Amino acid sequence: MKKNYSVLILLFLFLSLQIIAQEKTITGVVTSSEDNLSIPGVTVLIKGTTTGTTTDIYGMYKLDNVSPDAVLVFSYIGMAPVEMLIGDQSVINVIMESDISQLDEVVVIGYGTVKKKDVTGAVSIVDSKTISKLSPVKIEQALQGTMTGVTVTEQSGAPGAGLDIRIRGISTNGDASPVVIIDGYQGNLNTLNPSDIATITVLKDAQAAIYGTVGANGIILVTTKSGKRNSPTMVNFKSSLGMQETTRELPVLNATEYAVILNESYAAAGRPLPYPNVSGLGKGTDWQGQIFSRQPIIDNSISVSGGSEKMDYSISASDLRQKGIIGGDKAGYDRTTARLAMGADLAKWLKFTSAVTYTHIDRTSINDFGLGSVLFNAVNLPSTVPVYDENGDYYLAPSNVGIEIINPLQQIENTYNSYYMNKVNGNMGLTAKFAQHFTATARIGFNSTYDNSKSFSKIVDYGESKVFNVTRSSVYQAKNNYNDYTFDAFLTYENTFNDAHHVVGTFGTTVFQNWGNGLNGTGYDVPYNSWDFADISLANGIVDTKTNGSYTYDQRRLSYFARAQYDYKGKYLLSAMFRRDASTKFGPDNAVAYFPSTTLGWIMSEESFMKDVEFIDFLKVRASYGILGSDKIGDYRYIGKLDGEGVYVLNNNLAYGMAIGALANPSIKWEQSEQIDVGFDMTFYRDRFDFTFDYFNKTTKDLLLVVPVSGILGTYGPGGSAPVVNAGTVKNSGYEFSLGFKGPAVENFSYRINYNMTILDNEVLKVNNGTGFVSGGSFGVGQPAPARMEEGLPIGYFYGYKTNGLFQTDADVDAHPSQIALGSEASPGDIRFVDVNGDGVINSDDKTYIGDPIPDLIMGLNLTGRYKDFDFTAYFYASVGNDIVRNYERAQPDVNRLSTVLDRWTGPGTSNYVPRVTWDATANTVFSEYYVEDGSFIRLQRLSLGYRIPQNLTQRIKINEFRFFVAVNNLFTLTKYTGFDPSASNGQPIGSGFDSGFYPAARTYWFGFSINI
Amino acid sequence: MKKIILNKGIVITALIMLVFTYSCSDKFVTISPEYSIDSENYFNSETDYYNALIASYDLLQSSYANVIVGEIASNNTLCGGESPTDVIGWQQIDDMIHTPTNSNLGDIWNWMFAGAQRTNYFMEFKDKTEFDGKEIMVGEVRFLRAYYYFELIKWFGPIPMKVDSRFKLGEEKTIPRSPVSDVYAQIEADLIYAESVLPVVASQTGRATKGAAQALLGKAYLFQEKFAESADVLENVISTGPYFLVDDYNSIFEDEGENGPGSLFEVQYTDKEGAGFGCLQCSEGNVAVGFSGVRSYNGPLFTSGFSFNVPVQEAVDAFENGDRRKPVTILDIVAWADSTNAEYSTGNEHTGYFNRKYIPRKRSEGAQNDLNLTNPNNYRAIRFSDVLLMAAEANNRGGLSDAKAQDYLNIVRRRAFGDNNHDINYSGAALTDAIYKERRVELMGEGHHFFDLVRTGRAAQSIEGFTVGKNEIFPLPIEEIEFSEGNWTQNPNY
Repeated sequence: MKKNYSVLILLFLFLSLQIIAQEKTITGVVTSSEDNLSIPGVTVLIKGTTTGTTTDIYGMYKLDNVSPDAVLVFSYIGMAPVEMLIGDQSVINVIMESDISQLDEVVVIGYGTVKKKDVTGAVSIVDSKTISKLSPVKIEQALQGTMTGVTVTEQSGAPGAGLDIRIRGISTNGDASPVVIIDGYQGNLNTLNPSDIATITVLKDAQAAIYGTVGANGIILVTTKSGKRNSPTMVNFKSSLGMQETTRELPVLNATEYAVILNESYAAAGRPLPYPNVSGLGKGTDWQGQIFSRQPIIDNSISVSGGSEKMDYSISASDLRQKGIIGGDKAGYDRTTARLAMGADLAKWLKFTSAVTYTHIDRTSINDFGLGSVLFNAVNLPSTVPVYDENGDYYLAPSNVGIEIINPLQQIENTYNSYYMNKVNGNMGLTAKFAQHFTATARIGFNSTYDNSKSFSKIVDYGESKVFNVTRSSVYQAKNNYNDYTFDAFLTYENTFNDAHHVVGTFGTTVFQNWGNGLNGTGYDVPYNSWDFADISLANGIVDTKTNGSYTYDQRRLSYFARAQYDYKGKYLLSAMFRRDASTKFGPDNAVAYFPSTTLGWIMSEESFMKDVEFIDFLKVRASYGILGSDKIGDYRYIGKLDGEGVYVLNNNLAYGMAIGALANPSIKWEQSEQIDVGFDMTFYRDRFDFTFDYFNKTTKDLLLVVPVSGILGTYGPGGSAPVVNAGTVKNSGYEFSLGFKGPAVENFSYRINYNMTILDNEVLKVNNGTGFVSGGSFGVGQPAPARMEEGLPIGYFYGYKTNGLFQTDADVDAHPSQIALGSEASPGDIRFVDVNGDGVINSDDKTYIGDPIPDLIMGLNLTGRYKDFDFTAYFYASVGNDIVRNYERAQPDVNRLSTVLDRWTGPGTSNYVPRVTWDATANTVFSEYYVEDGSFIRLQRLSLGYRIPQNLTQRIKINEFRFFVAVNNLFTLTKYTGFDPSASNGQPIGSGFDSGFYPAARTYWFGFSINI
Repeated sequence: MKKIILNKGIVITALIMLVFTYSCSDKFVTISPEYSIDSENYFNSETDYYNALIASYDLLQSSYANVIVGEIASNNTLCGGESPTDVIGWQQIDDMIHTPTNSNLGDIWNWMFAGAQRTNYFMEFKDKTEFDGKEIMVGEVRFLRAYYYFELIKWFGPIPMKVDSRFKLGEEKTIPRSPVSDVYAQIEADLIYAESVLPVVASQTGRATKGAAQALLGKAYLFQEKFAESADVLENVISTGPYFLVDDYNSIFEDEGENGPGSLFEVQYTDKEGAGFGCLQCSEGNVAVGFSGVRSYNGPLFTSGFSFNVPVQEAVDAFENGDRRKPVTILDIVAWADSTNAEYSTGNEHTGYFNRKYIPRKRSEGAQNDLNLTNPNNYRAIRFSDVLLMAAEANNRGGLSDAKAQDYLNIVRRRAFGDNNHDINYSGAALTDAIYKERRVELMGEGHHFFDLVRTGRAAQSIEGFTVGKNEIFPLPIEEIEFSEGNWTQNPNY
């Protein structure tokens, strides 16, 4: 027995040694450093053998009987191979880094694609990863701060409000918005579900000339998501819940402060004190506190995608529900989308792609801008006014605050505006390859939108003689139908000769048609004065006016284009484009225009003399030049139409006649934008850094402007309008820099920093309507237009009086020219206006440039990082040098005021900035520098922190990734501006930058999760 | 089973054919607008002419500005408003410090020319289609053209003028300003034609009549000091027209007094259509009325407004004792509030008085918003008492007959005082003065006084800040001088 024992022990020892020193089982997960997601299909081999396995759909692998001395080699297409020594580990998780440098990524350039390294124009790209990190409610927001040369401004912080995108400055007083091309067809960004988007590419320079007619303001190319071939079914579900609140409340006077200031103002004018006893007034009503509330936002989306060898698919749906921080339900935005994208190989040489999206939007709105808006009322209604009267009804705003200021809560309650929209858009296309080098593409994309709006004017009394009082109820309803299609057909030839000369030729045609109609009407006497019965079908009141209207439109464009691309050994790149366009916007003689452009590139890093410069991995110098066009004007402006207003009263009834509307100009022609861009792209320090620089100069001439013309032409009659005239030249020039840094991929930790900066200079070179300027915008009440487009100055600059502090003493007043022409003689404590032209008189000839709304500089700083299962994102945006005008205070003696009035002038030396308070007439309210503030700001647009439950746990329940996140939008804004929001802009080229009580962008706290199966 | 194989050639041929069917030619982009009427292919029926005629009348409504600014420019009223910067252009005109950059003067220029352009659109096509009774419409259009041109020369002196065709883009650089005498000649020709074709009673209330044309012609003569012609045509109105003075002066300016027997021509307004500040000239209401109303008024009879155009004490004192027109013309708000408990607030340059003829009355239930801009008060543009006083002036100043002048003057005074005790029996210069005084009080608040002062050379002595050789006419808008690129020069001393 003893012997047997020893044999057993030996055997045991032997086996043990074998186990320790010899083969074992290794498991692990392979993930990508880019997005931290597991990678299925990675080949895992024992080095030097053919033994191995591949990762499953969860990125997991398992290898049995592996020696500790062995080295595992992980490889996957597009990823840098990774080698790992096994040693004493039994779980080996691997993070793989992409080895396709960004330079090999494919970039769409319109009617084709090129590799990024071969791009010879100025492009900016935002991909789905960035979009997912920013999680914008509206996709336009993802372009703000992430791209050079692109400015995005919100028209309002209200849910669903529009955003304006400007590429490389504002080049016209007309429509300066870029054209959006979605998968080849013309479309709109504002209804898209952000999570359906794969990439957004912005063509900023002459490269956009392939879209000739419409390229002058830049082109935004949107590529939507499609499924991946040879990929298992992937399901992604994301749900976010947010709480929104205002970013700011303006400091205004409380009830006691208001009474004291008002007393002082009355006393200064020798009038009896309105509040002989100010004690007991307390703080009064905090109107802003009353109207702002915390409101939810919920965003859910789901997508299913995948593909086999011959087909791919992507199905998605989303639902967004947002309520307004002012008005709650009365200012809400709901968006539901559903989308199906499919691609298939019908034959080896014939490919089919298609996508269709359905969008439904529901929106309610309140008056959210300017005089009469809820916010304007909240700021101007004195704190002494209570919210409710003794009966619990809304307290009516008193008459002394003016006829436009009403109780904002009462206003919200009595506002009823609803809107919904149904839209179907999509495309289908065929691509055929033949004769080795040829590809033919035919595709059609369309948008078909139906919308319906209703607003109810309820009988309401806001107080004595308020202008918003309604004495007869009515309901306005409108239905509109908008359609368009874009049909493209083009042929591409691609070949390489002698392994050196690579040639791509493209030519084709695009047909665009845009048509629709609308019908609207008003019904009077709504039953029960109630929203529930507000419909024309029930509103049977008769009125003497025409209560309905309709319109029809049909606009078309026909284009032919050709492009030749050539490169020699991938080193010297040349492309030339030519496009012929015809548009119905112009008369027969001017319908056609030709747009040539060219781009050049030199990849210097391919040159032998650069091979020794190890520091630089890639360097490309490029230049582009071209003429681009724009036809963004109203329809049929070349012919006169009887669509003016000619209404008079005969027999005491309205009599409707016929009058000429907008003055026709038969000679209008294409607006032409000459664009030059010089830049370079560089990656260096082992691809860790990438740097792009561009200089651009965009001179748009023959601007299609509606410029004022002589009154003798009758354009000021009712329903009349000045003609569209090719009447100006605007130059936008500047520099763009973007610098990216990719941190080294250390296990468990990676990060990226991107910084971009755009320096912009805008100058109007010519306005040739005789006067040399066009005015616009509004300030205060009854004041002349305060903004101008004028030769030698930035578009939309502020035109008003320069100031030089306050008059401190009577002697100061006497020493200065009279200010009577501005409305009133000055007294100590009033603003001293500068006699700019030095003629010894202060009058309107002294008005001059006192600021402009165009930033000198915009910047974005984007930080992303990952540590183990945590991820982190911070996106900053900054705008420097934009001026903004405080225009949310009603210049009326009895309204509430900002707390800055507490620092007012009360005697010599007390203030040189805030004028005295007096009930008496002063000229302090005229538009001057006193109202212009520096609107520079830096904003933390998005800060987020995510945590992924370790994949080895989630995969047990067949979940590939389960991630939670918290995020904040607009966490803080650093600015000197005293108003609600320095990003305020109504988007008008002339007249933006006047903050008339801008609905501030909300701060949103998010919590959410996403699941990938 | 035969396999269905896609044939490359067929597919590609089909694609190419598809391209060509879609875009074979530029015909695709040659389209004409649907449901719209080309302005150059109009005037094909009587209705078309009628529609263009109504559009020509439309701009009369924008002459509210001429009335209120004319009043503010005179020594009758101060500008008022909410504050000294409220409608700064009006404030400057009140203070006689207006400059070519005054946008409110620009409005008058733009709107009166828009009216003239619409009449010339009609006249350009007047011979295209024939129908019975066309001459009446042509007569009305020519009356309106005379009305607009007369307003323009009153305000701006020499103006570019076109007859029977529209101004075309670019003609501001080529057509010179016609001397006032040439414009008057055209006005006379238009009104003589109108007078010859227009009916005594119009087919629709509000349309021009023979009496309106004659009265306007008499006024144009008077402005040129063609006294004999003026007296002749005005006496024709007085003797043959159906017009007479109603007894109750107050009733003239109330709703029920509109288009009454004492009116030769009224600019028609209504509150049946809404209006907004974005296009004041589009309002079908009398904008001047809302602007003249008592600020934040709450009480009987009236409704509130913007407290512009407030009469000064000197104007109030211009009424003699016992003149029944005074309480109709002037609202003494302090006294009124005391007796009725009405509430109101005070605005800029508050004098305690309001232009009672043209301040907002209580509104009808169907009145459309913005109520301040849709007051339905017609502007009594040519009243019979105005005709009588013009006839008196022509007879007196023309040395034709002081007796007739006294008669006409006293018809007006007897209504004012309700007796014969206030009859005037002066002659010569004293009578002239009496007529001037009478015109001021009879027509106060109706926008005539400034132009009366100017044409009779009394402006400098009456209006503080009035500069002789400058303020008789107003500056052309600076933009117009610039649009004309040197073709037009600014009025003297502006």
